[in-house]
Order: sequence, then structure tokens, then C-alpha cells
Amino acid sequence: MQLKEIINILSCNSKTSETLLDKDINYVYAADMMSDVLKSCKIGSLLITGLVNQQVLQVSEIMDLQGIIFVSGKEPGAEMIEEADCKNIPLLTTDKHMFEVCGILYSNGMRGKEIQQKEENGGRDTLQSVIPDKR
Amino acid sequence: MEEEILYNQSFQIRGRDFVNGGSVSVQIKRILKELGVKPEVVYKVSICCYEAEMNVIMYADLGTLDFTITFDDVIITLEDEGPGIENIELAMQEGYSTATPEIREMGFGAGLGLPNILKNSDDFKINSEVSKGTKLFFKIHLN
Repeated sequence: MQLKEIINILSCNSKTSETLLDKDINYVYAADMMSDVLKSCKIGSLLITGLVNQQVLQVSEIMDLQGIIFVSGKEPGAEMIEEADCKNIPLLTTDKHMFEVCGILYSNGMRGKEIQQKEENGGRDTLQSVIPDKR
Repeated sequence: MEEEILYNQSFQIRGRDFVNGGSVSVQIKRILKELGVKPEVVYKVSICCYEAEMNVIMYADLGTLDFTITFDDVIITLEDEGPGIENIELAMQEGYSTATPEIREMGFGAGLGLPNILKNSDDFKINSEVSKGTKLFFKIHLN
């Protein structure tokens, strides 16, 4: 799904440069614990979180996240926005809460890595690493 | 047999420096990318480094991370001065953590760090002495 479409259906505000919004999102992950993101999030996902601090940006850079949606009306500070712009990570905010955001994206066809990989695998369970497959 | 070192750099990590937390791992990630290391190896190394770096920031006073690339591996050793780990077996269990509420508020301390390094590395060793510090070693194959 296009990031711009996601922004539209979630009524998000974009805090960073508009030029960062032109991209396609394949996977979504939601967590407040960055430990969970490092362990289970698929590389290159869109992150939904209620945690607003510098560590979210550092983790995003490590995991090459495609963007961050801050839920429940939480706002990143000016310094964080500036850094995200430098790192080309779009920051979005929405007044909707975590559950609602996940539900809306799910009902619009977005999936996390396990379900999408299961579907791609013809319904069979797979043990997949968060690391992209060998090329 | 001593392996030939292709690249080596050391980094200092200060305990409780949450503002710069993760910056060493981000630098290492950039170096690996610039050197043209395979993406899956870059991710494994940077995830492991990040977990290790945050452990120093959350629990220790000072740490030195040594980053080495040989023909076959990326090798990281991280030695810190700090409280050490009382029970390594427990610390290696997913979900076990001694993190303070302050650390958890920052989004860490879920008890996943060391198990995640073990999962993503090809060789892993940890030694710790209570009230002195912890020495962590891990290796990730380049191919």
C-alpha cells in the first residue's frame, strides 16, 4: 500500500518533508518496546508506536524502517523531526489509538511479517528470520 | 591460527548516555554498508551491536566496543566496567530482565537483548564478574 494512502485512511499528519512520502509499504509492525522491534520486526517495515524518543529513530535506522506512525496524538519534538528529515525517515502522527490504527490497516489489507509470509507460502507456517532472504 | 585483520576500530560507550545510545551501532552499520558487506550480514551485525551497546548504556558505567573485520567474519568484543551479571543463565532467558522502570519507559528492558544477540550471531561468548563488569564476544560470518 502507498504511504500516502495510509496517511489518508488514518488521517495522519506528516511532520517531516513531504518528499519522503512517496513510497510503497509492504509490512507493518506495532510495538512500544524497541526490544520487540529489534527481535521481531521485519526489516523495512512501517512502525506504529506510542513511544516518542530518540531511540525510536536509532532503531529505525538500524532496521531500515520505512516510516513511523506515532499514535494517540503523541508529537515528536523539533529536534527529532530534524533528525528524521536528515535520515529520510518519515514521521507521521495520528489521534487514533494503537488498536484502531492496527485494525484499520489490517482491514485494508496490510499485514505483519508472519501472516504475509504464511500467505506467500500457501498457508503453511514458516520459521522466518527478520533478516531478508539471501539473494 | 591468527586471522588477517582487514578493518579494526574501537568505540567508547558511556553508561546512561541515552541521547547518543545506538550511535556506535549506526556507525558500524554505515561502515559495513560502505564496504559492500551483504545486507543480511549488515543487519545481523547492527542488530547485535545495538543490543550490546544499549546494555552498556542501561546497566554499565563505561564500555569499549572493538569492531574487527577479517576475511571470514565480523568480530565484536565489548568489555564494560559496571555491576556485572549475577546469573548469566537467567540473563540469557527471554523475558528475564533487571531493568528499572525508567529503562522500560525508554522502550527497553524486555529481557530480549542477549537472547537476540545469540540468535543473530554465529559464535557467542559472555563472561561477567559481579561489581567489575561484563565481557561479551560475538562473531558473524560474512558468507
